[in-house]
Amino acid sequence: MSEPSTPGQYHPASKLSLVRILRRSLVHRRARSISALVALTVSAGVATALLTLYADLDNKLHKEFRSFGANIVVTATANAVLPPDTLSKVQQAAGPAALTAPFAYAVATTDTGTSVVVSGTDFAAVRRLNSWWQVSNWPDPSGQPSPALLGQRAANFIGDEHSVKLTFASKSVTLNGTGRLKTGGDEDSRIYMPLEAFTAWTGVTPSVIEVQISGGTAAIDTALAQLKQALPGVQVQPVRQLVEGESRIVDRTHALMYAALLLIALTVGVSVLATLSASVLERRRDFALMKALGGTQIHLMSIFLFEALILALAGVFVGFVIGSAAAFAISEINFHTATLPRLSVMPLVLLLNLAIALLAAFFPARVLRGLQPAALLKGE
Amino acid sequence: MSEAKVVAEIKSDWPANTTRPDCAVISLEGVCREYAGRGDVVRALEDATFSIVAGEWVAITGPSGSGKSTLVNMLGCLDRPTRGELKIDNVDVASMSSTELDRFRAEKIGFIFQQFHLIPYLSAVENVMLAQYFHSMTDEKEAKAALDRVGLGHRTGHLPSELSGGEQQRVCIARALINNPPILLADEPTGNLDAANQAIVADLLKDLHRNGHTVVMVTHDPEMATLAQRRIALSHGKVFCHPVGGPIVTLRR
Repeated sequence: MSEPSTPGQYHPASKLSLVRILRRSLVHRRARSISALVALTVSAGVATALLTLYADLDNKLHKEFRSFGANIVVTATANAVLPPDTLSKVQQAAGPAALTAPFAYAVATTDTGTSVVVSGTDFAAVRRLNSWWQVSNWPDPSGQPSPALLGQRAANFIGDEHSVKLTFASKSVTLNGTGRLKTGGDEDSRIYMPLEAFTAWTGVTPSVIEVQISGGTAAIDTALAQLKQALPGVQVQPVRQLVEGESRIVDRTHALMYAALLLIALTVGVSVLATLSASVLERRRDFALMKALGGTQIHLMSIFLFEALILALAGVFVGFVIGSAAAFAISEINFHTATLPRLSVMPLVLLLNLAIALLAAFFPARVLRGLQPAALLKGE
Repeated sequence: MSEAKVVAEIKSDWPANTTRPDCAVISLEGVCREYAGRGDVVRALEDATFSIVAGEWVAITGPSGSGKSTLVNMLGCLDRPTRGELKIDNVDVASMSSTELDRFRAEKIGFIFQQFHLIPYLSAVENVMLAQYFHSMTDEKEAKAALDRVGLGHRTGHLPSELSGGEQQRVCIARALINNPPILLADEPTGNLDAANQAIVADLLKDLHRNGHTVVMVTHDPEMATLAQRRIALSHGKVFCHPVGGPIVTLRR
């Protein structure tokens, strides 16, 4: 398929067809062809990357938001505790995919005489639910007895972190601090211990259950309704900031991606328009000659438009590969998960590139329509 | 002798316009071509009436701006008259649509340009085949035979950039001949050639004429003009010529 450049070594085909004319033209004007191809590849590549990321964006953003913890809180009414079967009812109503963690609270006194909030919870459940917590060392359920997680500030009021002595209603307990907790919130002032030991010590049962629903705002709303229905005597509330913030960020990210795609399409459109216009203007005499030889407007348009079409299609294929690779890399860097190439975005990318090429071809096509072969061939 | 003086002489000696014989392959009757200028109308060709019969070799001469290009464009169906009747091969082309005119041009006219106008990315034989492509079917064998006829049988695979000016003009002649059109329209065919190549092209045109082709040639070159049987002179858009069958004109030096 290569074009030998040595004089006399050029072997023409036995038939002259539109395909051959196009191939010769594209190869001969390779700088111009490559310039248009690069512009169209960029548009296809960016469109592929954005659409591939877009298709996976909701899942990825929701997953990111899930790392911020619970999005629904189930609490007992004032000065009350939750009924004993609440946790199982919550799990049943929210579905098996939902993460739940119970919390019971009491104010105890440390061996230094300072009051501190102590919370009984299920460490394994909390670890899954609040993966964003910064914990130096999570308690091992099969390890030493009476483990405790000490909030960053609460630890300041403890004499010996490995032997935390607490008193509640004249009852004492000694806990073994396994690690420190840092969240930047109220949790830093608390001491967390296993729920069973907490209840045995204080007699207090859970008053709060934190729930994390996977999925977007629609899934959260559905879960809220189901929980309210299943638990009539308790308060079921969304974590507003998180739920609304998630919805807002997802919507804004979508809008941002649409805007970026539009902006890039416009930029590439202008670039392709300039390239195709130059391509026609510099070949006006060639087209004028073709017209003088009897080429109709359809002949001339087909040569020009098929050229644009070939470049657009080539741009789609090259751009799809580059765009998919870019989407993979972006996803890996930002979300730490791979986004695989999606063939389903190909039709949209193809449509976008064809639209850009055809719109960009509109002006040069008008130039072709108004071609005056007589004047051009005379060199005017 | 200056061209202006020659034209002045022609104007005094020659009849303005001629009647059309029945066997004309080209005939013009009161043909005018006007262009819209800045606030006025520029008349590039005025009331041209003459005929060219089949097999005739006619030279069109005149100074720059005299209307030669306008006339040739109309004879080549690249432009249409504002008024009057223009018949080529007994078909009134003035009333044709653009598409009909394209088709008609492909079948009836073979162009030989001063600047050759070969497509730079097509080889010599492909440039010849391009005329076939727009006419009907391409046939490499025929295209090579046409190149052979102009002495370029050994250069068929070369790109225009690999050919000399004279060779490019011969490719242009082969391309003009390939569809066997009744009329060859040569616009300054030797204008860009050296003496040796001028002679080659002149010989080719003589051969074509001998073989029965109608040749309409625009030229500034008095030597080339003497090869024609008849001369049509233009001055300020007006046509002066001898009638068909009139004397061969030789410019006096």
